[in-house]
Amino acid sequence: MDLRLTEQHLKFRDELRAWLTANLARPWREELRDPNNNEDSLMEVRRQWQRKLHAAGYVGMDWPTEWGGRGASEVEKSVFEEESARADAPQIVNFLGIGLLGPALIHHGSEAQRRRFIPPMLAADEIWCQGFSEPGAGSDLAALRTSATLDGDHFVINGQKIWTTFGPWADWIFVLARTDSGDRYGGISFILCKLDTPGIIVRRLRQITGESEFGEVFFEDARVPRENLVGQIGEGWRIAMTVLAYERGAMSLAYAARFERDIRQLAIACREHGRGGTAVREKLGRLFVENEVMRANGLRNLANFADGNKPGPESSFEKIFWSEFDKRFRDVALDLLGPGGLLERSSAEARADVDWAREFLWARAGTIYSGSSEIQRNIISKRVLNLPQI
Amino acid sequence: MKFELSEDQALLRSSTRDFLAGEWPIEQARKVMEHDPRGYDPAAWARLAEMGYLGLLLPPNLGGQGLGAIELAIVLEEVGRAAMPGPFLDTVLAAALLASAGKRDALVNDIAAGKALVTIARDDAPFSGGNATPTRFEGGRVRGTKYFVPFAAAADALLVTTLDAVCLVQKPFEVIALTTFDLAQRFGEVKLDHAATAIGSPSLLGRVDQLAAVGAGATLLGLMSRALEITLEYVQTRSAFKRPIASFQALQHRLADMLLKTESTRSAVYRAAWCVDTDAPDTAIACAAAKAYAGDASRLVCGEAIQMHGGIGFTWELDLHVYFKRAKTLEQHYGSTEAQIEHTLAAAGF
Repeated sequence: MDLRLTEQHLKFRDELRAWLTANLARPWREELRDPNNNEDSLMEVRRQWQRKLHAAGYVGMDWPTEWGGRGASEVEKSVFEEESARADAPQIVNFLGIGLLGPALIHHGSEAQRRRFIPPMLAADEIWCQGFSEPGAGSDLAALRTSATLDGDHFVINGQKIWTTFGPWADWIFVLARTDSGDRYGGISFILCKLDTPGIIVRRLRQITGESEFGEVFFEDARVPRENLVGQIGEGWRIAMTVLAYERGAMSLAYAARFERDIRQLAIACREHGRGGTAVREKLGRLFVENEVMRANGLRNLANFADGNKPGPESSFEKIFWSEFDKRFRDVALDLLGPGGLLERSSAEARADVDWAREFLWARAGTIYSGSSEIQRNIISKRVLNLPQI
Repeated sequence: MKFELSEDQALLRSSTRDFLAGEWPIEQARKVMEHDPRGYDPAAWARLAEMGYLGLLLPPNLGGQGLGAIELAIVLEEVGRAAMPGPFLDTVLAAALLASAGKRDALVNDIAAGKALVTIARDDAPFSGGNATPTRFEGGRVRGTKYFVPFAAAADALLVTTLDAVCLVQKPFEVIALTTFDLAQRFGEVKLDHAATAIGSPSLLGRVDQLAAVGAGATLLGLMSRALEITLEYVQTRSAFKRPIASFQALQHRLADMLLKTESTRSAVYRAAWCVDTDAPDTAIACAAAKAYAGDASRLVCGEAIQMHGGIGFTWELDLHVYFKRAKTLEQHYGSTEAQIEHTLAAAGF
């Protein structure tokens, strides 16, 4: 066992820390809570942040340098995420492009597609959203019905995507569409669509937080050039699955850093409000303990990656752990803060450290998106425990 | 970075598992805990000593193997899996405490050789209210009452904690048996008014407490992983509604959660052990958090194991209650969950 970062990784971490200190204008939660900011201006903050990171070589950390990446190891990628969380940096605006589509193009795209799409993706000049979920196919992703029919050198696309994160701001969408209705997994293709194509309409959806970070995307006889197909016809499912594995790196360390900051803020808030005593302390302590266990899970996974193992179905443990913890944590936070925790950020009386009300609501999303907790448990029971399936 | 055990450590795991499977099959473990009033078997104890397990943490010049916290965790995880009764962790901790004081080498040697049984007497109160009169050491005598002293009736000597010293008290001492539902761990109440020698200050307990958290956490890990294993075997053989019950999603999701808790405990316990061995800055947090989490997680997993077995799970005959009771008992000792939560907060500056 060895859970220590190497000298080289420590050096990378120290350089990154220094860079973050010098370049982060102000913590993300201050941006979030600034009444002068609205959703659009916050997206612009994230765009500018991505540009800064890109100029410094911190976007596409684990991509090959040939495609504008850093060629960094899983450890460095995790250190980057952890330090960014510690510094309270915003997330980049194009994280679906960088996190999912970029790797898909690098592994499965054509040379022409990489040249065309990767540079503006890295520079945040073209924002991407992901067209996987549908109204009738969320957790059962392969039940998707959006169709793509070849007509000469174009696909004609019909259907609807939903819960499309960043849809309202995106320029492009990568879509899973059915090219063969008879073949559940083999009849799906991976297609890139420009959102201003005639026949594509994006509508904002309002979330329980009141924000509209996601939307729905309608396709009505939208004609998309055949050259926008990634891989071969019918390869979409396989590509999507390899790409989704990227979504599940060793993220627990970053979450633990962020949660720890908030747990400490909660303790300060309790003290200031005269809420003390053993019952309050025990609640805070249980949160802190659980967060440390999440950190231990993250260290373990990171060490396994560093040791050459690929992320397996065990990454479902991480997903369930942080998302379920997030919900419990935010519940406890509002309990401890009392009615003051319900105040919206626009309220002058709201605490300025954490937007507790928004975090409480936002936590409901984590156990649904990116494979719900139920789906993660199915994955564990099927692929780790090998239990008989129905 | 690497989470996997080294080759030597993996060998220690497999040899310990084999050794315990031979010496301590669950039938034997249950026979001893249910029928031997001492709660352990001296003959088997001697074999543990012969194999070097009792001197696990001691340097070779004191009859030990000079191993660390990771090895302690490995062995105790197996002890938990086997549900081996007896004062194993207590003995190892007492030896480590004496050795860290740098005194009484002969006694340390005897512990490692299985010739002397020494455990640590810590609790001043039967309930964790903290209102009890603390045990005192004055004028060469220890006075007070210690509760839940591990295997007090069988012990040759006790290491008694007082406000400003750790003292060694030799038998005889008066012991009132405190019988709990966990027959694998015997406790006594000891009234002390005894001549004693101070072996050092309470600061010696710092590292011992960390080892205790790792050791107890690892035992809890072993208990829960074995309870989960037994349950996984059962749900695949037991049928209801013409299907193996393992095919029901309601059970699958709970089994997945049991595994999640078990593996999270594993991450936490081995991280803590690694921290102790490398003297990492977050050792205090890691150890306390691991023990606190392991207690809750093990009780929940062992409890789910009983639930999934249905009526048979509630019987004396089935072994699961042995795991469940031991988990609940360990949760209260070697730093209760409540105490470990407080340690975590204190170490994190709250």
